[in-house]
Amino acid sequence: MTEYTQGVKLRTGKRKGFFRQLAGQWQLALMSVPMFLYVLLFNYVPMWGWINAFKDYGNRKLVARGITPYNGLANFKWLFSRPDFYQAIRNTLAMSVINLVFGTVSAILLAILLNEVRNRGFKRTVQTVTYLPHFLSMVIVVAMAQNIFATNGPINALLTGVGLAKTPIFWLGEGKYFWWLVGVINVWKEVGWGTIIYISAMTSIDPSLYEAAAIDGAGRFHRIMHVTLPGIRSTFIILLIMNIGHLMEAGFEIQYLLGNGLVASYSRTIDIFVLEYGIQQMDMGVATAAGMFKSVVAIILLVSANFIAKRLGEDTLV
Amino acid sequence: MRKLLSILLVLAMMLALVPAALADGDLEPITLTVFRGDPGDQPYPDNKIYKKIEEEFGVTFEFEFLAGDLDEKLTLMTQDLDDLPDLFDGGNSAEKLIDAGALINLLDYVNPEDTPNLWAHIEPQKNRIITKDEVTGEDVMYIIPNYGLPEGPQIALSVGGPAFFIQKQVLAWGGYPQITTLDEYFDLIEKFLEANPTNADGTPYIGFDILCEDWRRFCLINPVQHLMGHPNDGEVLIDVNSDDYPTETFINRAYAKPYYKKLNEEFQKGIISADTFVMNYDQYIAQLSTGIVLGMFDQAWDFGNATNALLTDKKYENTYVALGLVYDEDDVAGLLPEGWTIEEHYLNGSLPNLDRGFGISVSCECPERIIAMWERMMDEDWQLLFNWGVEGEDYSIVDGRLIMTEEQYANTQDIEWQRHNKARAFFESSPKRQGWILEGDLAGNCWEPGNQNEIVFGLMNDYDKEFLAAYGYSKFADFVNPPIELAPYGEAWQIDKAPIEKDYNDFLNIQDSQLPGVIMANPDDFDAKWDAFVEAINPSCEVYSNFMHEEVLKLVDAYYGK
Repeated sequence: MTEYTQGVKLRTGKRKGFFRQLAGQWQLALMSVPMFLYVLLFNYVPMWGWINAFKDYGNRKLVARGITPYNGLANFKWLFSRPDFYQAIRNTLAMSVINLVFGTVSAILLAILLNEVRNRGFKRTVQTVTYLPHFLSMVIVVAMAQNIFATNGPINALLTGVGLAKTPIFWLGEGKYFWWLVGVINVWKEVGWGTIIYISAMTSIDPSLYEAAAIDGAGRFHRIMHVTLPGIRSTFIILLIMNIGHLMEAGFEIQYLLGNGLVASYSRTIDIFVLEYGIQQMDMGVATAAGMFKSVVAIILLVSANFIAKRLGEDTLV
Repeated sequence: MRKLLSILLVLAMMLALVPAALADGDLEPITLTVFRGDPGDQPYPDNKIYKKIEEEFGVTFEFEFLAGDLDEKLTLMTQDLDDLPDLFDGGNSAEKLIDAGALINLLDYVNPEDTPNLWAHIEPQKNRIITKDEVTGEDVMYIIPNYGLPEGPQIALSVGGPAFFIQKQVLAWGGYPQITTLDEYFDLIEKFLEANPTNADGTPYIGFDILCEDWRRFCLINPVQHLMGHPNDGEVLIDVNSDDYPTETFINRAYAKPYYKKLNEEFQKGIISADTFVMNYDQYIAQLSTGIVLGMFDQAWDFGNATNALLTDKKYENTYVALGLVYDEDDVAGLLPEGWTIEEHYLNGSLPNLDRGFGISVSCECPERIIAMWERMMDEDWQLLFNWGVEGEDYSIVDGRLIMTEEQYANTQDIEWQRHNKARAFFESSPKRQGWILEGDLAGNCWEPGNQNEIVFGLMNDYDKEFLAAYGYSKFADFVNPPIELAPYGEAWQIDKAPIEKDYNDFLNIQDSQLPGVIMANPDDFDAKWDAFVEAINPSCEVYSNFMHEEVLKLVDAYYGK
């Protein structure tokens, strides 16, 4: 252990120390080998495919004969000349942010409410009922939403019935509603699932803190504000950083299923863009370029979120 | 123990004998993997037609039907050309298979000497079916068309393709009027709706549906060319009377505007509902099947499932008649291309369904056996078996005429029955004989029961009989003009748009996102919205028009053997 404290030897010693430490923990290292291989095989090896972003897949007949010449940055240039690609980026970010805010706020709110419920049976029931939709297929959820939000559906019947709207609102066909519809549907589907992790964080809060707060005269609201919320703060930060890494993935299923020609300029996400050009039109070059752009942006977002969290003195991912 | 061993031994020997017994004939039994590019139903293992195929050809099938998006599925399947299904039907996107090099050139096997039946089948249309490979210049045929090569004079009993459809009860209610223009059509629907806002159950009727989901957007786009008096060329209008075949997209032209203006008016009157633009195909079929939709523009095959459902429920008055509407000359005065006259032509000459049907994949190990099987199946006995079934059970021959009883014919419409007794999944995509039986004892009969006089008219329901009698017509095709001769280029929608795919995609996306908005526009904004739409779509229209014109000219040259 001495080499750690002797400044002169520190540089070489650090390296030696790493291997010595590794040798000392070989059982642990061995256990991590499968995961290491998994990540290598499924996350790093496919990156070789990024090379397709610099190839020309425009002519199917040539592609079939294995002729895909390199074309430099042509795919990227084409991509950034397309207004619909910018639209896709905008839609992806907008829906991600809406999902993140709605999803987190609703999950924390519900978790707090459940945490305050003393009747165990009621608590369990609510928890089960709210997380069951998580297991429904998005196809089913969207089909239900299409009926509920149709111009002659229950929502419009309610709105016109109580006089909030004079004529039925065309929820499914107007772009300006699309992002919010996606947000609402996602909240309905995922809110219960999202609470699980917060509830578990709340159960790990030391009960003596609540008792101390109560003795000091804190009411229920104050206990939530000053004990519960600070107690789940680190969980919240970690989840936030992870979710920021996923900001470029606004989901694909819901936009694909709920979207239609009328709202296409609000529903097309980067994933749908990639699907349209890569799989439906077989232009792997453009699709890979779009996917690559997405990954790069996601890495930048993740690293900066992590950096900011570190600066704020919070727990971080790495 | 010894007893158990001996039993096992006997069993093992019996199992070993089975393949030997099967291999007794000339042909080693094989299982062909089959992909169909559309959804379908698996046949039951006891299916009698597949049993006969197995007996004669030693062939059994393993079917996979499309689930999900066709283009995605085909792209993924063709990533590995060594592991393709033997018989590969690429559905509406079979060009993808050809471009990807997934199919073998059938001309290596099909020729007048080795396969006289198949050759005779394609010979009349060989200039359309056999094309030249752009790269190698050799003659190629990847797919024998699954439909559209009929024998004898063309049969047109009803409209199987595009038309404006209207429920029979609406015409009956209106006193069986002659409807030829858009104004008359929507007038009648409006008046009917006014008098009958709901059906007997109290469900409100829907005046006019416009399906515009994905490729079925043709229900929104295509009507203009038909209103101009032209059969179906997809998204372009071609002047067939000029040697140069001028070709242009019609959606961005002045003569398209009156149609959308009319739709805009009907939308304001509530005849068209906004929900129609966000509805998917399943919802559309569900709506039609309940009989609450009074009219729509569509192609008859596209809503066949709805028609069957209505027939099964005996809601004959809710089934549809195809009308051949055209523009009133006054509607488009001054807007027509030079020298254009409007005459209704919804029905076209028989069109080979090019590049549709089974191709044989490059990974198939026994293409010659499949070809030999198809060759034999072109004989009368097999064609009758596929089309009519087993004699005595499914149909009978009386005085040289093929006939079915009402029950037998009803069976053929029943999906469950078909899974036991029909080889649909295989036969629909295989080469087949259609039209008239021209030779032998059965000459004068039709290959398909659906065209046979005794069935079409003998088994027609009473509602339809009275309906036709009221009009003084003998068949439903009488509502439109008789078919015209097929243009030399065929029908232009068959042209593969892959070389201009990105522009074509823009062309479609702009229509999808803006055209419904034009229809739903406030009447004061209509002109502005229409102009904005035309301006947005013009650039891709120009690329598309030029491309199609070149391709049409190539097809014309090929047809005349140049």
